[in-house]
Amino acid sequence: MDAVLIIQSLISGIMMGMVYALLGVGFSLTWGVMHVIHISHAAFGLIGAYLSYSLLQYCGVDPVVSAAVSVPLLFITACGLYQLLIRPITRAQNIVMASMILTFGLAIILENIMALIWKADPRVLTPTYSSGALIAGPFYFQYPHLVGFGLSVLGITAIYLFLKKTYTGMAVRAAWQQPEAAQLYGVNLYRISMITFALAVSTAGAGGISLALLNSFEPHSHNLWLIYLFLVVIVGGVGNVIGTALAGLIIGVITGLSMAFLPFQWVNLVTFGLLMIFLIFRPHGLIKQEGM
Amino acid sequence: MLSVENITVCYGQMKALQGVSLEISQGDMVALIGANGSGKSTLMNVISGMIQAVSGEIIWEGRPLKGLSPDNICQAGIIQVPEGRKLFPGMTVEENIIMGAYHPNVRRQAPESLQKVFSTFPRLADRRRQFAGSLSGGEQQMVALGRALMAKPRLLMLDEPSLGLAPKAAAEIFMIIKELNKEGMTILLVSQEVLETLSITTYGYVLENGIMALKGPSRELRENPKVKTSYLGL
Repeated sequence: MDAVLIIQSLISGIMMGMVYALLGVGFSLTWGVMHVIHISHAAFGLIGAYLSYSLLQYCGVDPVVSAAVSVPLLFITACGLYQLLIRPITRAQNIVMASMILTFGLAIILENIMALIWKADPRVLTPTYSSGALIAGPFYFQYPHLVGFGLSVLGITAIYLFLKKTYTGMAVRAAWQQPEAAQLYGVNLYRISMITFALAVSTAGAGGISLALLNSFEPHSHNLWLIYLFLVVIVGGVGNVIGTALAGLIIGVITGLSMAFLPFQWVNLVTFGLLMIFLIFRPHGLIKQEGM
Repeated sequence: MLSVENITVCYGQMKALQGVSLEISQGDMVALIGANGSGKSTLMNVISGMIQAVSGEIIWEGRPLKGLSPDNICQAGIIQVPEGRKLFPGMTVEENIIMGAYHPNVRRQAPESLQKVFSTFPRLADRRRQFAGSLSGGEQQMVALGRALMAKPRLLMLDEPSLGLAPKAAAEIFMIIKELNKEGMTILLVSQEVLETLSITTYGYVLENGIMALKGPSRELRENPKVKTSYLGL
């Protein structure tokens, strides 16, 4: 086998994996903190991707620049959505089931809205540097891939620092590890849930933009992304940011390598076969840890 | 400072508290004793706003607390150290303690408060980077106390602070509680260590099946024949 090809696909896998991780972190947080399994999470990622597409196509704004607009926009939208849809179902007996059904419906609605606005054709983000590439010896990296990778590293680092270093971030972790004590020390659970949800949705947007720099996308792409989200979160451990990042990288590398050496139709079989084996041996995820 | 008036709480059909009243003045240390399931924790959780009372009133510094959420009550200066400590298991000792200063009113003083907590509990300073779950019971209780002190309580409610601790650790915790009260902290102490509790408090209440059965100066309660047979095993 060709060493250059192995290394090249390894690095592509790492890039891809980081993007999965950014998409997965928010999914994992809403799951862990709120017990909401947010099926439309990836659809919001796709909205992020389409927003950058339009801003690039019609206003010539670079995806990274437009992320600075669309990510906060998604945050605000998600706050409203939380009040309108998510908060009422947190009173349900079985939040997990109720949230899955609700957000599954939401995902279908979002998919159709996207198909209506942007049509069902596959799209690609083509920023000005899209044809350029970094060539280092025998290796070859397209600029959009590098930018997407950079954006996702930035996103993950930002979430990690937010959860570790800010009072609000600590309250998110506290609310999840010990909601009762968190309340006794002044944490308003509704406010924290809203922030968690909005943060998750906006990072999904950033993840969607990153992914759009690496791959083409269409209105139903979120279904495939969602499967990878589940994969990343299950392997990484629910709500574990470091675990999720690590899982993203591992899954990225596995898919990257199998894409290089296996026929395309075998890639998912290998990935999910490994997931099954993984679940048998480590059902609690990569890192066993209560909370983050 | 705090007066609980005629509180009734129901869990479904069952009455957990029935017309319970209690009074605490500034600087006091008041005991609340009773058997398991007599409603002590329920009463604390009503004061903290975690449970809503069916009827009755709680007046704090002249203002009714009814309808306030737990975070608002925390802001008002009533801080509970819950039974079983309820630390944040995935956070370090330092993070747990800092979470006590979450409320914006006390956040600015957090660095000084943290220094003060570490000088009160030097052992915690050595373990600040460890996960709270890895500490011994006595140390965990210190973390819980430290977290509460960060919130600058004006009323500190301690629910079973010595439960499950080794005798030496329990004695140490009681020493610290006594010291805090001496420095002027108003304390409501719930404990099953009845003799110990009644000897460090000035006034006591006895809950029985959700009803306030007895109350009086702690010294008199210690001599009360009913308390002696039911709680002191004498």
